[in-house]
Amino acid sequence: MTKKPDYARYGRRRLMKGAGLAGLAGLAGCIGTGDPEGGSGGGDGSDGSDGSEGSDGSNSSGDDNGDGGGSMASEIDVWGWDVAARALTISAEEYESENDATVSVEEFGRSAMKDRLQTNLLSGSGAPAVSMLESVDGPSFIDTGSVAPLTDEIEEAGIREDFVSGKWEALTVDGDIYALPWDTGPTAVYYRRSVYDEHDIDPDSIETWADFIEEGQKLPDEQYMLNLPEGDLSGVWRYQFRQLSGEPFLESGEVNIHNEKSLRVARNIKEIYDADIAANIEGWTAAWFSAYGDATIASLPSAAWMEGTLRAELPDTAGDWGVFKIPALESGGPRASNWGGSNLMIADQVSDEEKARGWDYMEYSLATEEMQLAMYDEYGLFPALETVYDEPVFDEELDFYDGQAARALFAEVAQESPGYRFTADTPEVSQAIETELQRMINGEQSPEEAIQAAAETVAENTDRDLA
Amino acid sequence: MATSDETDDRIGQGYRRRVRMKIRTATRQSRRAMRPVWDRVRFARQDLTAATPTLPRVAYLFIAPFFLLFSVFLAFPVFYTLYLSFFEYQGVGQGSLFWIDLGPVYIEIPQIAQLNFVGLGNYARLLGNDLFWQSMFNTSYILVIQVPLMIGLALALALALNASFLRLKGVFRTAIALPVSANLVAYSTVFLLLFNEQLGFLNYVLAGVGIGPVPWLTDGFWARNTIIAAVTWRWTGYNMIILLAGLQTIPQQLYEAAEIDGANRWEKFRYVTLPQLKPVMLFVVVLSTIGTFKLFAEPYVITGGGPTNSTITIVQYIYRQAFVNFNLGYASALTVVFVAVVSVFSVVQIKIGGED
Amino acid sequence: MREQRRKDAVWRFLTYAFVITMVVVMMVPLYWMLVAATLPQEQFLQFPPRLIPGTAFLDNFAALQERLDFVRTIRNSVLIAVVYTLLSLVLCSMAGFAFAKYEFKFKEPIFYTILATLVLPIQLLVIPLFLLMAQLDWTNTFRAIILPWAANPIGIFLMRQNMKSIPDALLESARMDGATEFQIFYRIALPTMRSSLAALAIILFLFQWDLFLYPLVILETADMYTIPIGLAQLTGFQRIYYDQIMVAATLAIVPMVVLFLVLQKQFVSGILAGSLKE
Repeated sequence: MTKKPDYARYGRRRLMKGAGLAGLAGLAGCIGTGDPEGGSGGGDGSDGSDGSEGSDGSNSSGDDNGDGGGSMASEIDVWGWDVAARALTISAEEYESENDATVSVEEFGRSAMKDRLQTNLLSGSGAPAVSMLESVDGPSFIDTGSVAPLTDEIEEAGIREDFVSGKWEALTVDGDIYALPWDTGPTAVYYRRSVYDEHDIDPDSIETWADFIEEGQKLPDEQYMLNLPEGDLSGVWRYQFRQLSGEPFLESGEVNIHNEKSLRVARNIKEIYDADIAANIEGWTAAWFSAYGDATIASLPSAAWMEGTLRAELPDTAGDWGVFKIPALESGGPRASNWGGSNLMIADQVSDEEKARGWDYMEYSLATEEMQLAMYDEYGLFPALETVYDEPVFDEELDFYDGQAARALFAEVAQESPGYRFTADTPEVSQAIETELQRMINGEQSPEEAIQAAAETVAENTDRDLA
Repeated sequence: MATSDETDDRIGQGYRRRVRMKIRTATRQSRRAMRPVWDRVRFARQDLTAATPTLPRVAYLFIAPFFLLFSVFLAFPVFYTLYLSFFEYQGVGQGSLFWIDLGPVYIEIPQIAQLNFVGLGNYARLLGNDLFWQSMFNTSYILVIQVPLMIGLALALALALNASFLRLKGVFRTAIALPVSANLVAYSTVFLLLFNEQLGFLNYVLAGVGIGPVPWLTDGFWARNTIIAAVTWRWTGYNMIILLAGLQTIPQQLYEAAEIDGANRWEKFRYVTLPQLKPVMLFVVVLSTIGTFKLFAEPYVITGGGPTNSTITIVQYIYRQAFVNFNLGYASALTVVFVAVVSVFSVVQIKIGGED
Repeated sequence: MREQRRKDAVWRFLTYAFVITMVVVMMVPLYWMLVAATLPQEQFLQFPPRLIPGTAFLDNFAALQERLDFVRTIRNSVLIAVVYTLLSLVLCSMAGFAFAKYEFKFKEPIFYTILATLVLPIQLLVIPLFLLMAQLDWTNTFRAIILPWAANPIGIFLMRQNMKSIPDALLESARMDGATEFQIFYRIALPTMRSSLAALAIILFLFQWDLFLYPLVILETADMYTIPIGLAQLTGFQRIYYDQIMVAATLAIVPMVVLFLVLQKQFVSGILAGSLKE
């Protein structure tokens, strides 16, 4: 046996042994699972493994003078997209001048922002204090547990009744409210006055979709009465379904999109297509803008926020528009629905101070009439704050609509619009309806089959029962 | 603590020496008792060393950077995805999974997600899901047409641009390869405009030749073709560049030798070019196959997966499940299956491609 | 003879016709993009589409620059892509050489594993990668984008395939002359791979140039954004700024063109001519 140098023979082994023992002893006191007592718990607000959606600090009491009570962060980030983000800069500026804080609003492209926000929420870091949340996404996001509940703050501020009642349902899960409503999308049909006049179409005589189709036949072949792109059938279905106060899921959770109301909507959509009065151009594409720009398409069933887009993109058409309420599905039926609308939410992972500041800012921007009006005025975001509707500005006769007091109409619709039970499975519903209704339009199946198939797909994919 | 051959006789250290002797004796005695055990451990260790293969050091060094980077960055995401595929995602995690507090250093591993173990549930689900199979079908359909088409074109172009008689090679080369640098958002917008059924340029031109308006984006069959056209447009130049580079490593002498033997153009191509080009061709085929399997951006932006799900690709389906439906566990399972299938396919391609 | 010449002439004509047709097909959408970049938004949305460029390029660019500091965005993209390409060229050629010219245990399985990483769709890797970067505190840095794929499997694969064609005799004779492996790699293998390295440079640059989802999540402040992210900012929901998008996209092509031009000289034929002296 070769004699190795002593240190090699004994030293190495002893070193390893010693290190191992020392390490174990040392680490035993320093390692643990669950939460360290008195440890810093990270800068992210996730404390306590009690499995609840995350608690918010007790100091986020949303006093509106920013001092006293718990402390608030002096700097927060706010994320939004498009005109909405720009609208927020208005309130951010005002807020900054009245409070000693910095509110940095970042504007993103919509799908880019969603991708990034989701990644940040799901991985627990990087999310801003305040971010935009569309109602349709509400329950999906809330379900992940990464959104901070605001029930206490809202109650304390007593502002629940100030908002249009239809907004709250999408933001409430298990009795807790998770976001503050911002704008809403009361539906209406925008129409080109010159085209209607030319072909003797009287918007006041349109009460039902049948009327609408009939009037649409008056247009020549190259002109269309409306646009019904195959790419957004789920949106169309949803607002009409909602118009009838349909709920996609029962309160007990069963899938309900194959009921009588849904059938009426599906049939209606089919009728519109069969009447050959609809163009099939995908929304927001250059072709779409072009078609509305030169009045190839005469009407645009949409919501209040569309005004902003029309003003910005088709300025030459100003003064040629009018609005009337969405046609009812049958005589005497409801004519109010909602399409779109966003809210502001607070990410659960941010510190309590940031949450406090975030809430303060949110309340300032969304729950004060002044700010909501400013945002509406500048960017066309229709406030969900009901109290604002009494303002004289709502009765103003607008040039864009050739003197019609369009705001008053929207306000009326907003108040009449029923709520809607969005859930975390709403994307499944949208995807299924989209697919099946497309097949229906291609003639592959009847409306009954379409909604039945859609309901079955959703039930299967979400492990729910059919109602 | 190692034994020292030197003894130190200075006063004051005599005491220390005596202590050391005592310790040494004690440990030696215990060591003697433990010897059989130590011996066994030592023999085992030596056996293990003999059994592990030795890589030639150089080759190992050459590929080390890849493994270093991979293990640091990509290993965790890969294993996490694999792990996640056996669970159902419930929501973000609360509290921490694990913490280490060493005074100045504090490391906390947060609990990333609340998970519900479902075993192979996700896998069973994907097997039974219509949309999954539809996306597999779409992807395969596009693949089968697009890849041969594109490679055929790329090869033809590469050969053309390698021809000795061709002038303006640089200009042509750059012009054909340029589409690859077009940003996705921009060129999909352009394609949406060009292929629009009523207002698009393409139908405008076709109408001039008497062909009726083609429903490029509204009909399932045509939508797939639109995607094929977009992808081919974008990547042909790219593959052409690669093939061109491959062509240029073929020694000129081989061609000269063939000419001396009286070979004509076709024979030269078949007996010199093709065999020499085989490795690069294989690369282009495998790469294009994988790339088209992974197709996501074009269907996402141009057709949105429709109409009636006729262009939704697998990766698009995965994205939807992960980012829209928040079904991270299911999306992970889909990813695992996807990677497995495509990897096997690629390996088969390589083996068939005649690896020596 | 005459017939041969006629056949040649026909062949040449066909070749030119083919190439020129393809060039036209490739350039039409790009030309359209350029035209769109020079038109104000309203004119762009016309039908029948306008084919003559307008004069609004600078206006559109000014608007673009105001919205996002696009010059900086280009700088970021170029910086990241260049550093990445250089780093990756080295790592990939080394690894490719090893796979092509050496025999070692587990060579096949290792190679196939590398290939498998090529298949990984990035969508699902984004969340765990982001987690990792957040732990390392590397969010909003360029190194977080450059490093993970620095040893790019595409590159390794390409280099392996190309280096297979290096005659072993060449390497053997160098070994016999006493060269070390690194010298063989650096002085013999690499120079013969000029056009392949050029192709690889383009591949790597493009790979990094195009990365969208991952940088979107990692880069947090506007001064760090890369071009794809910048362009995504312009696609809002109610307003899509076509004119600015087109300007941005047109400008984004310029670095790639520069790259092509720089690498032109490398696409030279017959480098191995005369190296086989038998």
